[in-house]
Amino acid sequence: MRSTPSTAWATAGSPPERAAEPRAPETWRPRLSIRAKVVLVSAALAAIPFVGYGYVREMENVLRAAQEQRVIATARAVATALHDRPRLLEFGATQEDAKPRRPAARAATQEIELILTGLRRASSRIFVIDQQRRLLAIAGSLRQEAPAGPEPEVGPWGWVQARLLRPLWAQLLERPPQDFDDAIPEDLLSGGKEVDAALSGVPASRWRPTPDARAVVLGAAHPIWSGTEVIGAVVVEETTASVVTLRNRVFEQLLTVTLAVFVLGAGTLLVFATRLSRRLRRLRDDAEQAIDVRGRVRRAFRGSGDSDEIGDLSRSFATAVDRLAEYNEYLERMADRLSHELRTPIAVVSSSLDNLRTHAIPAAAQVYIARAEDGVRRLNAMLTSMSEATRLEQTLATTDRERFDLGRVVSGCVAGYTAAFPQHRFELSLPERRVELDGSPDLLAQLLDKLAENAMDFSSPGEPIEVAVDADGAAARLSVSNVGPLLPEAMADRLFESMVSVRTPAAKPEGAARARTDPHLGLGLFIVRLIAEFHRGSARARNREDGRGVIVEVTFPVAATAQNR
Amino acid sequence: MSRRIAIVEDDPAIRENVSDTLRRQGYEVASHPDRPSALAAFRSRLPDLAIVDIGLGADVDGGFTLVRELRAMSAELPIIFLTARDSDFDLVAGLRLGADDYLTKSISMPHLLARIAALFRRTDVLRSPPKAEETMERGPLTLDLKRMTASWRGQTVDLTLTEFWMVHALAKYPGHVKNRDSLMSDANLVVDDATVTSHIKRIRKKFLAADSAFDAIDTVYGMGYRWVTP
Repeated sequence: MRSTPSTAWATAGSPPERAAEPRAPETWRPRLSIRAKVVLVSAALAAIPFVGYGYVREMENVLRAAQEQRVIATARAVATALHDRPRLLEFGATQEDAKPRRPAARAATQEIELILTGLRRASSRIFVIDQQRRLLAIAGSLRQEAPAGPEPEVGPWGWVQARLLRPLWAQLLERPPQDFDDAIPEDLLSGGKEVDAALSGVPASRWRPTPDARAVVLGAAHPIWSGTEVIGAVVVEETTASVVTLRNRVFEQLLTVTLAVFVLGAGTLLVFATRLSRRLRRLRDDAEQAIDVRGRVRRAFRGSGDSDEIGDLSRSFATAVDRLAEYNEYLERMADRLSHELRTPIAVVSSSLDNLRTHAIPAAAQVYIARAEDGVRRLNAMLTSMSEATRLEQTLATTDRERFDLGRVVSGCVAGYTAAFPQHRFELSLPERRVELDGSPDLLAQLLDKLAENAMDFSSPGEPIEVAVDADGAAARLSVSNVGPLLPEAMADRLFESMVSVRTPAAKPEGAARARTDPHLGLGLFIVRLIAEFHRGSARARNREDGRGVIVEVTFPVAATAQNR
Repeated sequence: MSRRIAIVEDDPAIRENVSDTLRRQGYEVASHPDRPSALAAFRSRLPDLAIVDIGLGADVDGGFTLVRELRAMSAELPIIFLTARDSDFDLVAGLRLGADDYLTKSISMPHLLARIAALFRRTDVLRSPPKAEETMERGPLTLDLKRMTASWRGQTVDLTLTEFWMVHALAKYPGHVKNRDSLMSDANLVVDDATVTSHIKRIRKKFLAADSAFDAIDTVYGMGYRWVTP
């Protein structure tokens, strides 16, 4: 009869189920840290060289067009200089046939070459042919003088450029060849398109590869007029080396700048992301540590003072933790407040009953008074145990620690239980040596009282209650075990919270029950936990290995100097 | 001449119930619901004993204030706190203010009457000229059963009524273990084990203040306490 309402009470008072179980395993997803993501995003900077590449190609095309125009212009200029001077060409034309050479012919060739030399440019070649495609004069060479080595670089940047970047660029960029076949190919003279066009009176230009295909040559031909007759052609040839060199230099600069921007940008982002993720990690760690596995607020959460979103998050988290702490405290104080608030109306009932007793009451009505008094007595007992935890917390705050022998306290207590509860059999096992703890023997006796009460409540009749103390090294263990109903596995950790009661007390035969007035509110093991924590220990309840009952174990650290004995 | 008891209690039902009980015992009762009215009545005439609740309506600690004022008016007046507050903190605070006893509202009327009668006996004995003394001596401990005072090695130890009764129960049969339940009934106390423990702790402290080598109260874990004659 008694156990039913009190069990219901305890269930109603227990906190709602929390997600104590491990979370369902999530489907695996690649885990990218913020830092990694930011670095990936910074890879977008890699687009810069491609954009630059397109731009440089465009520039190269413009330069080539300009080069072509220039070469054509040169050819035209030379041709213009030779217009209407057929004598020069005629002399020249006879040069190869006439043997020995006549001085006049040599002089004519020299004059043409003089004109050509005046117009020739570096890495360009100008030659003049007559109508019979004979070479009259030639000046210049396609080959370039070996360019002066890169000016020596100074400083660390110079070193980076010379040692790291140049070799890298050399790998990436095609250098204009220094060594190629610059002979005038036969087919140019005999069947080159620009030559054909020029000899038929139309200026033309053409890009052609060198015979060994290592370089590209731009050739422009212009007819030389004598009156209305084409008497020859001027061919100006130039390699594309200057354009390629220019393009390469632009490319190098572009790549260098891009690389610098990339390194600088990625570095900055990396530093920023590192700082960001460190702050977030710290927030996560703080958040995890603020609340323990049982959902209690372990320590106050200090919001950060930063003014950005992470600071906001941290502050709102701090607010949430504070509220949770307040709520937890409210719940923990609930029993105390409730008991306090209920005491006055109960006092009204009990004092009224006391007064009623002094009046003449018919015998038939006496039984109701007795029942009412019994009810009040039980209510009082309930209130007392409800506020016991709170009072204990106050006591713990003011209790002085002393060193005491655990074995002595336990054996005294067990002797007391044996005398007080003859219907239970207690079996005690103690270690041979002293087990000294640092704390309060009174509180430890109170802890053992609660463990014994709990064990007696759930013990099957006739089975012994085993109380054991043992110590190994720095830890002492006190355990109380009984045969009786088992614990549901999921509840084992929550037993030590306020007002959690999960086992139904063993049925006791009416009348034979020991006169225990404390209803089972589930506060006993909460008190065990408080006292264990005061002794820097911890309490744990589990089912016995033989599967017949439950064992509650409290582990304490042994007082420091006791180990040396 | 009937004795006059003042009861200051904000809850009308309890006030009336206690008043009725006391009147039935032949006491004259003056009941007051709050601090100002009680104080006004005390100023015109002091009662022979006062029963005060700590929380008086909205005046959360009104009882404490009232007892301080009352103690200033009379050093001998017996004062009992009767309150729903059962924390150690309130108990210590109440006794420090000079109350003679501190009871929680769960006390039964017969117990309350026993305490009131005991307090009156004590004040009577203190007031009357010393006559045939009724004392109990246990080694260095002397208990004056009439005055309900204790002394240790000739030095007075200032005990409250509850504490005196506990010491008396223990010292009556030295060496016998008294469990908490019997200590409570000897002290007309209806509280829990923890309160007995804290009472014992306070008694020890008081004796230790008189004699730093005091260890006459021995804790027998799991059973109770016993008086050890040195």
